[in-house]
This record gives sequence, structure tokens and C-alpha cells, in this order.
Amino acid sequence: MVGGIGELFITLGVVLGLFVVWQLWWTSVEATAQADKVLTEFRATLPPANPELVEAAQLRTDDPPVPDKSPYGATIGTLIVPAWYGLTNNAMPIAEGTGMDVLDRAMAGHYEASQQVGEVGNFALAGHRRTHGNSFRHVDDLEKGDQVIVETATTWYVYEVTDHEIVTPDQVDVVAPVPHHPDEQPTERLLTLTTCHSLTLGELGNDHRWITYATFVGWMDRADGTPEQVR
Amino acid sequence: MYAWIFRHLPGSTFWRVVQSVVLVAAVVVALFLWVFPVIAPYLTVLEGDPAVG
Repeated sequence: MVGGIGELFITLGVVLGLFVVWQLWWTSVEATAQADKVLTEFRATLPPANPELVEAAQLRTDDPPVPDKSPYGATIGTLIVPAWYGLTNNAMPIAEGTGMDVLDRAMAGHYEASQQVGEVGNFALAGHRRTHGNSFRHVDDLEKGDQVIVETATTWYVYEVTDHEIVTPDQVDVVAPVPHHPDEQPTERLLTLTTCHSLTLGELGNDHRWITYATFVGWMDRADGTPEQVR
Repeated sequence: MYAWIFRHLPGSTFWRVVQSVVLVAAVVVALFLWVFPVIAPYLTVLEGDPAVG
């Protein structure tokens, strides 16, 4: 038979196992439900987008409208990465700020010091890799040319992935207006995705950061149609 | 400990098993909803870096 001490250790082991289940599964169930609620509330405030699909080549390339800065925690728009359809909860809300209260609700968080969407400079977003909705879990699937689309109340912004790199967490100038050159004046409109990565544990670790860069290719008013890759 | 609890549950063996399952389920729910969210920031095996997860 198992003694009292043995029962205690077995209980501890079971509780630790349950903790792993909670972190890898339950946090995502909760977070995804919260993100869906935020998204539903956000979309309820908008007129429906014109469903007519528009090819990337037909997007406008003149200066896009740039939204005003939002208060912390407010929903800015929606992040759509067509390559992630069927893999993770796509169309996640983007909220202002990168605190855990934002990211733990399976939203993409906008670095407050970075530029606005569509603005010249860097529209930088953070998201969880695993747990709490697995927001950016499949960031390593993104290839050069894959679209990253931001939807705001009025506008679709389409970016295309150009490059990625793996950096240590202290290299915060990846979200500078010109990444790695914080003193330079930006000339391009960039979008940067940052999430956790580990050299040894891959998506499960957080000793490094996976940084994906995308560059602006065009925009469209929501009243004029929907980018063809949005489902 | 668990044998002691089981012995002290009332009713037939069948009802004791049912009560045990309910008790275990209640403990799991309490862990998932209240205990784990509180201790997660201190168990940084996978996450917990305040910069970004």
C-alpha cells in the first residue's frame, strides 16, 4: 500500500500534470472566448465591410488614412494572417498596449511607443506564442510574400512579410521606426510581429523572440470591398 | 488519506464512488479557475516573462 507521504507526492505529481493541462489547453479556451467577445463587440460598432473581393494588385497605394492613437486597452482593429486560417483563431483583435491583461485575452497588443497602422515607421504588435490563445503560434510558418492584414473601423491595410529574425529579449529596437536603427528617420511603412521563441524548446520556450517583418503594399476603404485573402 | 476519506463517505459503495468523482471534479475546477491563475506568474516554466509571452 501507499503511505501518507507517498499519497502526498502522487497528489503533487497529479497537480503539476493538471497545471500543464491548464496552461497549454484551458488558458486558450478562456482567452479565445474573451477575444471572440471583444471581436464581436468591435464589429457590432462597424458597418459591415463591402464583401466584394479585391485583389492585392488593385489596392490603393497612395497615403493611407492613419488612425488616432487609442487609449490603453482599447480595440484598434483586427489582425488577419491568411496563412493561419485553419490553424489558430484567426482574425484576432488588436488592442493598444502590450500588458499581460491584453495579451492573455488572445489579442495582439500594439506597442504603445511604436507608430500607428498605416503610418510611416513601424506598427509593432506582440502576441503569445503558446498558451492564452496561441495567438502567434504559427509565426514560423510565415514566408516571404505572405500577407498580414489589419482591419480598422474604416480601412483594410495589407502588408507582406519580408523577413524574420530570432533575437534575445533585450533587443527592443526591433520595434523602432527603423528596426535596429532607433536614431534613423523612417521612410517605409512596416509592420512587425514579436512573439516568444526558444532556441531549444521552440514554440514552448521564451528565452528568445521571434520577429517577423512585413512591409506595406496597399490599402482599401472598407466600403469599397474586402481583400481577397480575407475569409 | 484517500482511503480514509473514502471510508467516511456515507452510503453504498456505488454512492461513495459517485461522491468521490464529484469531489475530484470540484478540486480540479477549483484548481483551474482559482489556484492555477494565481500561481501561474510564479511558475515560469513556459511563460511569465513580463516583456512578452
